[in-house]
Amino acid sequence: MQIPQLGSKIDSSEYTDLTRVVSWFILLRWIAAVGVLITLVFVRFRLGYKLPYALLYSLTGVLCVINLLFTLYYVAVKRKLLARRELAIFLHVQIICDYVLLFFLIYFTGFLENPFAYFFVFHIMLTSFLFTSDIVLIYVGSLIVLFIGAFVFEYFRVIPHYLLSDSMDPRYFRLYLPRAIGLCSTLAISAYLITDIKRRIAEKGRRVQVELNRYKELDRIKSNFILQVTHELRGPIAAMNGYHEMLIRGIGGKLAPRANELVHKADRRTENLLQIIDEMIDYAYMKSEEEVQYTKTSLNVREIIDYQLDLHSSQAIRKNIELISICPEDLSLYSNRDLLNIILSNLINNAIKYSPEFTTIAVKASAVSTGAGQTGAATAAKGAAEVHLIVEDQGHGIEPEELEKIFEEFYRTRKARELERDGTGLGLPIVQRAVESLGGRLTVYSELKKGTTFHIFFPAGGENEQDSDH
Amino acid sequence: MSKILIIDDDLDILETTGSLLEYEGFEIHSADTVEKGLEMIDQLAPDLILLDVMFPEKKTRGFEAAGEIKSKYPKIPIFVLTAINREYAFDFDKKDVPAAEFINKPIKIDRLVKLIRNYL
Repeated sequence: MQIPQLGSKIDSSEYTDLTRVVSWFILLRWIAAVGVLITLVFVRFRLGYKLPYALLYSLTGVLCVINLLFTLYYVAVKRKLLARRELAIFLHVQIICDYVLLFFLIYFTGFLENPFAYFFVFHIMLTSFLFTSDIVLIYVGSLIVLFIGAFVFEYFRVIPHYLLSDSMDPRYFRLYLPRAIGLCSTLAISAYLITDIKRRIAEKGRRVQVELNRYKELDRIKSNFILQVTHELRGPIAAMNGYHEMLIRGIGGKLAPRANELVHKADRRTENLLQIIDEMIDYAYMKSEEEVQYTKTSLNVREIIDYQLDLHSSQAIRKNIELISICPEDLSLYSNRDLLNIILSNLINNAIKYSPEFTTIAVKASAVSTGAGQTGAATAAKGAAEVHLIVEDQGHGIEPEELEKIFEEFYRTRKARELERDGTGLGLPIVQRAVESLGGRLTVYSELKKGTTFHIFFPAGGENEQDSDH
Repeated sequence: MSKILIIDDDLDILETTGSLLEYEGFEIHSADTVEKGLEMIDQLAPDLILLDVMFPEKKTRGFEAAGEIKSKYPKIPIFVLTAINREYAFDFDKKDVPAAEFINKPIKIDRLVKLIRNYL
């Protein structure tokens, strides 16, 4: 046996598993010693078998002493920390001791007459589980040779047979030859089966790994694809938008009022197209990432609201809509920036699209201190349980019977279709999905001709942030 | 007059953004590759740089270029331009990019002008 390679012959990938196996071996040996003692006493005083009891008690004693040594070595000397090679040697020593002791216990108690001879099957199964097939072959081979050898030696009276029954049955050898063969084949078959099962599991593990790698690759391709598509679709729109802006500003000649109006119309449809592209990409992204934990960082809510209002300002100015924000300056939220931007952008965009001229859209955020549901800037400091976000418009409102449908994918209200031809009906489903992904809740109130208000509650701080606060 | 250098491989973006900023009273220079852009920084010493992210040779060339420019000219503010409006699309951490501002395309020109004035 190549000792230096012993460490690599262990077939269990998990080191922690192996140390658990060692502890388990030691415990089992104590239980076995107690079991053997009880059985011996029972057999001797109840059944009255004539066996070399002194020898058997001594063997049990040896078992206890050896196990005590194992325990001392493992717990006291090595403090359960063994290098892989040490661990392998330790396991081999234990297994060999167990084999030898069990063999003698069986041999002195009737050998093949003793039904406990089949206990070797457990040992073989454990060995097969722990080691590579070449090592298992050596163990199983030696055991079978030992068994056949002892049986043949008994047959030729080279070694004595220790009787379990009162008198030697003259048919012992004829009777027990099948048992010897049975035992040996059981040992070989159990070794084979365990090794085979192990091989299949390993094969499956490899296949899972291959699948996993394939998924990772697909994920990479998908991210790349989204990146490319976003770039390819938004790029031309950026240029179109630039040219529209140039025309509107009269770079390249002052426009006649009619021409100016036409350019504005073209620009509005271009902006709609951009919104549609963003919605579709966000929708595809969120659909594909359903199970993913979005990375969160500490965000300043005020900054994000102002950024979004800024982005939508020209769109609002064109409709004479006033955008206002009410948010404490230091309000922070532990969340995902992309999703928060997606939520706000969609809600603000909707509000602008579906509000009449000369109205106001308010985006408010505040901290909610406890579950009492009270909001107020005074509680904006740390320790807030939730952040309450409101997007409020003075638009046309939503029909009560349509209100429950607005979060359905591709659904657009009658009024929305009337007011704005372009739209995917994906905006609000995206918002809802994003809010859910961030662990928040979303409610909507709407009154016809008065306006619509979206309320969103986010859990304010992640565990991480709260930890660093204290 | 403040000098602004725009580096973008999209010629239409160079034309539109350039014209719009010129109209707002800036002196505009443009380069359609990172290499040309880097050369022009030496000659021009611009007051501010608008830098695109995605170039044909590499998707995140602009992010790298921002680092190169920053190490050579730590005082020139860099605005990174990108048509990609979601962070998730990049496996690049924004925090690692030495940009003064990130600007999404289509560029809202009034907003851009306001931001530029903050830095000049």
